[in-house]
Amino acid sequence: MTQTRAITLNALSLYAVALVLAAAFAAQLLLHELPCPLCLLQRILFAMLAIGPILNIRFGPRPSHYALSLLAAVAGAVASTRQVLLHIMPGDPGYGSALLGYHYYTWALIGFIAAIVLLAAALLFDRQFEDDGAALPPTGGLFAQAAVWLVIGLTGLNVVSTLLECGFGACADNPTVYELLKRFS
Amino acid sequence: MEFTLLFLAASIVMLVAWRGSRALALGLYAAAMIACVATYLHHATDTLKLSF
Repeated sequence: MTQTRAITLNALSLYAVALVLAAAFAAQLLLHELPCPLCLLQRILFAMLAIGPILNIRFGPRPSHYALSLLAAVAGAVASTRQVLLHIMPGDPGYGSALLGYHYYTWALIGFIAAIVLLAAALLFDRQFEDDGAALPPTGGLFAQAAVWLVIGLTGLNVVSTLLECGFGACADNPTVYELLKRFS
Repeated sequence: MEFTLLFLAASIVMLVAWRGSRALALGLYAAAMIACVATYLHHATDTLKLSF
């Protein structure tokens, strides 16, 4: 895999992270399901997954950049496993609604494990770490730049949404209203 | 509140990774990841509300 192709794949991975963050927002806004503290932590760790690809696009692919994403994926898998285990007892309805038979935290666990496998697979290709002399467009070209700004924008929107949901105190274990909006209404 | 700050931290790390220096981005990433793990451990020590 050449350096140019690796950067294209990193941009695609940013679109995948953006898709996950957008889907979580869609569930929150369309189904009016507010994310619980562990759900928020999983969203944050999905956002942290994006930092490795951003560095790969900006500075060129390096194993250390992939390692950052691997750490975020492992932490996300631990957090989502805990939430799966919290609702594993027979008769427990789980938290929130299910999508295609699985709750969002189960999908998150599948997503984090898929990220670990894909990152390990990406690390198998050594040629991406050698300068192949190809004239790379600055900061990866328009396709990659759009991916980076999309992920940054969605993470920024999560700052606003979480502030509205939790206000300036601790987030509720089972949130049903936007605390900050309630305070000012 | 801590989750708002963590999202803010993730946004700042992304912006620094995209526009700033690599060393600063790596340092901020480490700080944000430590904060995420600390938040997880804080919530992981909550009493489990099991239904039996």
